[in-house]
Amino acid sequence: MSEAAARPGLVDGARLQLRVIGALVIREMHTRFGRQRLGYLWLFAEPLLLGGVIALLHGASGGEGIRSSFEFFSIGFMLFQLFRGIVARAPNTINANQSLLYHRQVTLPDLFFARHAIELAASAGVMALFVFAGIAMGGEAPDHPVKMILALVLMLLLAQGLAFMVGSITSEFEAVGYFIQVATFGLMPICGLMFMVEWLPAEWQEAALWVPTVHLFELMRDGQFGEQFNPVYDLAYVGWWIIVPHLLGLAGLRIARKRVGLD
Amino acid sequence: MGLQLIDVHKSYPMRQGRKRVLRGIDATFRRGERVGILGRNGSGKSTLVRILGGIEAPTRGTIRRSMSVSWPIGMAAGFHGALSGADNTRFIARIYDRPVRETVDFVESFAELGDYLRMPVNTYSAGMRSRLGLAISLAIDFDCFLVDEALAVGDTRFGRAFGARLARAGLIIVTHQPSLVRQLCRRAAVLADGTLTFFDDIDEALATYNSL
Repeated sequence: MSEAAARPGLVDGARLQLRVIGALVIREMHTRFGRQRLGYLWLFAEPLLLGGVIALLHGASGGEGIRSSFEFFSIGFMLFQLFRGIVARAPNTINANQSLLYHRQVTLPDLFFARHAIELAASAGVMALFVFAGIAMGGEAPDHPVKMILALVLMLLLAQGLAFMVGSITSEFEAVGYFIQVATFGLMPICGLMFMVEWLPAEWQEAALWVPTVHLFELMRDGQFGEQFNPVYDLAYVGWWIIVPHLLGLAGLRIARKRVGLD
Repeated sequence: MGLQLIDVHKSYPMRQGRKRVLRGIDATFRRGERVGILGRNGSGKSTLVRILGGIEAPTRGTIRRSMSVSWPIGMAAGFHGALSGADNTRFIARIYDRPVRETVDFVESFAELGDYLRMPVNTYSAGMRSRLGLAISLAIDFDCFLVDEALAVGDTRFGRAFGARLARAGLIIVTHQPSLVRQLCRRAAVLADGTLTFFDDIDEALATYNSL
């Protein structure tokens, strides 16, 4: 099986794919937020409200230091929001856009890339806002912003591989989608958002480090707070959690592409 | 050269074994050529259309594409119901790398949708949807228009304008309606038992088709 001759070169192929993803982003924004210019603000409003409320609740509960600081929860929540936004939206990505496959330049991964770009923009945008809000309220500037950005990018990739898997599975078994919605919320207490590994009892620390997102929260807080605590993370471990789901997920999408009905 | 199929097979997994829909299709469609493909219900027309349009990959065989072939016109063009006709037009212009404004202008002047062009596609009648899809496909200006089934444009101003434009374009029509093939095509083929047989003479093709 081959498609010869008109197959574009690498550069043209990349250009074509970027064009398609760009068009999908615009379309997704229009369908999600309507056509009014201010509609785009909703993209930021939801994470802003959720993150702000959670951070304020924790701030009001007292305590000192990092553990109760506004920055700890507001900025951490954006990292969680990025993961949740991508994975929880994965189940209906194929169904909602099936008819676009009539245009042969639109591929299944493109549908996901477009949504992930939107989620990244929302989470990173609101995160930056919280960083500045934290400074304005008398907090310290991040110790090492590059580490925070790296944590965001790795979280994007981690969520992306899982989203490919979830997307291909749910295109065949729709009911799995409902489970995913619940499961992403169930992850909240164990994903690393609520704790630092060093706060845990010794016997729990090892267990916590099995969860890949925990490493990314540690990395993010390393960049955020610097020397104020001892972060624990192993990025090679996270790397496996990125690579293996990508391979499985992309293979799954190839299979799904053959099975998606177009009638 | 245009679009070439070499020993193309397509089968689908069924509960028991595989259903072999296409069993070795060989065909060459040159640029600007106008070809009709006739097939009875269940002969694999839709499958062939999807393979010609590049929407599905063959199970086995080779496809060489050196001209731009449209999406299967007559099927939904992937419109989003909540978006306006103009927004849907812009989306399609973007993914086909055509100037957005010119495409919308062309659709506006051709599709006869009036103010509806700025309304959600959900509010369109079937006829309006079809005019929108056809107008966009003309705006993209493919080398070859791939037409699936009957093209019900009717004897309206739009229908005549569309027909006139199509009469000058490269065309592959896959249909069960002999009249359409006689009207628009120069060459015809019959799809039966998973294979495609070409006839240089349209009448011969129609005779074969009618005897099926």
